[in-house]
Parts: sequence; C-alpha cells; structure tokens
Amino acid sequence: MIDQLFGFLGYYIPEVICIVLMTTLLVAESSVKDEHAPRTKIHVYTQIVLGIVLISLFQNLGEKPLHIFHNAVTIDPFSTLMKIIMVVGTMGTVFLSHSSKDIYTNLKSEFSIMAVGVLIGGMLLASANNMLTFYLGLETLSILSYVMSSFKRDESTSTEAGMKYVLYGGLSAGVSLFGISHLYGVFGSIQFGEIARQVPGLEGINLAIVLVSSVLFFVGVGYKISVFPFHMWTPDVYQGAPIPVTSFFAIVPKMAGLATLVRVSFVFLSEGSPLTVSWVGLILVIAAMTMTVGNVTAIGQTSVKRMLAFSSIGHVGMMILGIVVMNESGVQAILFYGIVYMFMTLIAFYITSHLSDMYGTDSYDVFRGLVYKHPLMAIIMASVLFSLAGIPPFSGFVAKFNMFAVVIEKKHYGIAIVAAFNSVIALYYYMKLAKTMIFGQADGEEKVLGFTPLNQAVIIALFIPVLFLGVFWDSAMALAGNASLFIK
Amino acid sequence: MMSLVSYLIISLILFIVGLVVMIARKNIIAILLGIELILNAAALNFVAYSRYVTNNLDGHVFSLFIIVIAAAESAIGLAIVIRFFQIKETIHVDEATQLRN
Repeated sequence: MIDQLFGFLGYYIPEVICIVLMTTLLVAESSVKDEHAPRTKIHVYTQIVLGIVLISLFQNLGEKPLHIFHNAVTIDPFSTLMKIIMVVGTMGTVFLSHSSKDIYTNLKSEFSIMAVGVLIGGMLLASANNMLTFYLGLETLSILSYVMSSFKRDESTSTEAGMKYVLYGGLSAGVSLFGISHLYGVFGSIQFGEIARQVPGLEGINLAIVLVSSVLFFVGVGYKISVFPFHMWTPDVYQGAPIPVTSFFAIVPKMAGLATLVRVSFVFLSEGSPLTVSWVGLILVIAAMTMTVGNVTAIGQTSVKRMLAFSSIGHVGMMILGIVVMNESGVQAILFYGIVYMFMTLIAFYITSHLSDMYGTDSYDVFRGLVYKHPLMAIIMASVLFSLAGIPPFSGFVAKFNMFAVVIEKKHYGIAIVAAFNSVIALYYYMKLAKTMIFGQADGEEKVLGFTPLNQAVIIALFIPVLFLGVFWDSAMALAGNASLFIK
Repeated sequence: MMSLVSYLIISLILFIVGLVVMIARKNIIAILLGIELILNAAALNFVAYSRYVTNNLDGHVFSLFIIVIAAAESAIGLAIVIRFFQIKETIHVDEATQLRN
C-alpha cells in the first residue's frame, strides 16, 4: 500500500519540485539582510528550478493516462501539456517581475513565492479527477491570487482590486461548492469517473437537480476563466494589479480553468448523456456573449493594460468554442490556441510593462511613434498585435483558423459567424494601437532606454514561436493532437 | 425526527440568506460573513447527504476541507480589508470606485 503510494509519487515529481521550491524560497527570502537588495540570485534560482520542472513535465508527456492517489489525480498528456503552458507562463512573468518597477523591491521574491503557489494550485486543478481536488486546486489558485492582486499595498487601486477579487471570488467559489454538494447527493460519489458513469441513467427529479447544480458548479470555473456573466471583476483587477501580476493572471489561472472546464465537460457529456443539449447550449451562448462583450468593450479603452484585459476575455470566449464540438480535434484546437495565446500575451505585457515603467502610465500615448524610439520593440509589438488579431503569417491566425475549422465541421454555423464578426472588431482595436505606434508622431526625440540586451534576447526568444508556429505549425499541432487523445 | 429534507431546507435558507447579505449589505465585513454562510450551507449539505443518502465518508472529509479553506480565505480577505481601511479609512463597499471605465 505504502509502496504503491510512493511509486505514484514518481509521476507527481513536477508538483513536488514546485512545493519544495516554494518552501525554499520562503527560507531564502527570510535570509535576505538588506531589504532593498535586488534579489537576483533568488530569481535565478527560481528560473532554474522551474526549468527542471519543465524538463520533468516533458518526460511525463509520453505517459499513458493514469489515475494516482486513489483516483484523486489524473496524469495524462492533456493535463501535462496544460501544465507546461502554465510553467512557461510563470517563468516569463517571474522574469518580468524582476525588472518591473511595478513590484516593490522588497516584494520581489514574494512575487515568486506567490506565483509558484498559484502554479501549484493550477497544476492540481488541471489534473483534478474528483470534486475535492478540483475544489482544493481552485481555492489554492484563488487565495494566492487575491494576495497577488493587492501587491502594490501602498496604493488604493491595487488594494481595491484585491478586495473586489476576494468578494467576487469567495461568492463564486461558494456557489460552485453548493452545486457540488448537490451533485454529491445525487451521484453518491465525488469521483469524476463515477459521475460520468451515472450521468446517462439520470431521470426525473435527479435530472432536474443535476441540471441546476451543474450550472451552479459552472459558476466557479466560469469565474476563474472570466466568461461572460462572471467577467465583471476582470478589468478592474487587471487594471489595479501590477503589470507582472496582470500578465500572470492572463495566463496561468485561465489555462488551469480551461483545462478543468474541458475535463468536466467530458464528465457531464459522456455517451448518451441527457445533459448534452443544455450544457452545449449553455457554453455556446456563453462563448458568444464572452467574445462580444470582451471585444466590444475593448474598443473604448484608453489604458493598454485594460484593453489587453478585455481582449483576453475575447480570446477565452474563442477558446471555449473548442468545447462545444466535444471531440479530440476541439481539444487539440484549444491546446494549440493556448500555446500561442501564452506567447502572445507574455510579449504584449512585457512591452507594455517596460513602457509603463518608463513613462509612469500605460495609456495609448506612450506607444505614440514607438517605431522611431525603439524599432525592435515596435516591430515585435506590432507583429504580436497582428497575431492577436489573427492575420496570416503569424501563429494567431493558425490558432483561430483551426478553431473555426473544428466549429464549422460540426455545423455550428451561427457561432462561427459571431466569431468572425468578433475577429473584425478585434482587428479594429489592435490596429488602432499598431497605427499609433507606427504612424503616430513621437513627442520628442528621446529614445526608449533601459531595455537591456537580456530583455531583448528574452523578447526575441518569445517571439520566435509566434512567428514560427504561424508557418510550421505541424510539430506543435501534433503535440496538441497527442495530448488530446485521452478523451474517448 | 430530523430527516434529510429538513437539513436541505435549512441549508437552502442559509444559502439564500448568504446571497442576500452579499447583495444587500454595504459593509465589507458583513459581505465576508455572507460568504461564510454560503460555504457553511454547502458543508451542511455534504454532511447531511453523507449521513442519509450515500453512506460513505466523502462528504465528511469534504466538509472538513471546506472549514479549513474557509478559514484561510477569510484570513486573506480580512488582511486585504485592513489594508483597504488603512488607506481609505472606511470599509463601505461604495467607496471602492477608483477602478471604473
């Protein structure tokens, strides 16, 4: 028995390393003597250990789907690929936090601690196989996110963001939990596998209870990935939080939430499930509303950070379209979109962060005439904006095209038309920013300073996949395809 | 004699009271209390189902986890509210209006 548990621990190495990293970071931070030291060593240590986590995740990628710890956790290629996306996103934001002025110097290593903690929660959520691990992952993710969003603790905006996050987050987690409790009563089990087995045989009063409870249950997940009725907190929190935190929120919790939404959808929609019509209908309506609300509201924004927040809502609306088709190619489309979205978001926030550090604001004006001030930055930012809008040579186009293909294949023409309209709207506000950068006249002759060679190298390294996957998408698509095979 | 239905009705009442508190009250501490009510409604449900319907321990274990997580969540929530009070000198939720379009 004990031997078996330790044997399973071998598949759980990435999470274990993360937990060890978090505790050692706590010790390392407490040993720092000078409060205003830059903590470079701690950041290098974090990056190296996260690199090891990445390597061990890549080794897990080939494993067959496996339930460990009494069926509490699933290790399969799907969850592993989602974890890889999350770890790369964490590495990027930890690097960003080191140079960003938005994070107080004495909180630099605390950012790493919190980020690794959220990462652990996200990993647990991505591989959750019963309601308890789902809830634990969701709360680990949320509770540390509340702290992160109020990181600039001397400023009222950041504190207000944290407070709104706590209140909305607590409410949605509670509502979700209430739904789970009734699901437990009906199915008599909290295991996803057992629930999936019982769903097709539901009828009468039990079916009615499950219909209502699954909607309540959806609130918790929908809130984490900020889909339409639960997106109210997103712009406020994204605006109030420091920029590295915002870029972190745009990647890690969203990917974790998406992973669990995919898994839960396949639980409730097993073969012959009476819930199929209502669940697919719910997700279709929510996807359409999410895209539209996100993109339409993004038009009127004056702060680039807030614009990126709304555009991330739009992208999530696009990504959950992969769920309505309910097959492997849908999951493959979600995974590919997730990979591309992660790189694009990181770059967009990097450049916004640097300019906002320099000018003290993140309005569109700081981008005016950027092409004269720092050509490299402007070219990469413009390309990423094109990619986010889904214009051909870049990977954003492949991701979007793939999503359209799987949706049209299943004859969901209505949602495809809505998505196409949304792409046009998105094109408008991304191009507005690109136009400001390229054709706008800079106020002065000053160059953008302080963008070190290391920063340039990192941004180019992140840009290569955005460019490369737009032309040679086969390898990443095959990776995503293999990872989506767990679903029968 | 208590039956399953009476527990479910009580937990539903707790849930609705929690929701109403969250919507109606403007004091942030009261809103946090509303969250606690909702979480406890769910915990009560778990224990009642575990006792009367499913006859396994999953529900009991789940309710223990809920208690621990609720404590952690309110600790973080109160810390942030204290920070908010130090800056704004109020805990009225209508004062949180800096982040708007």
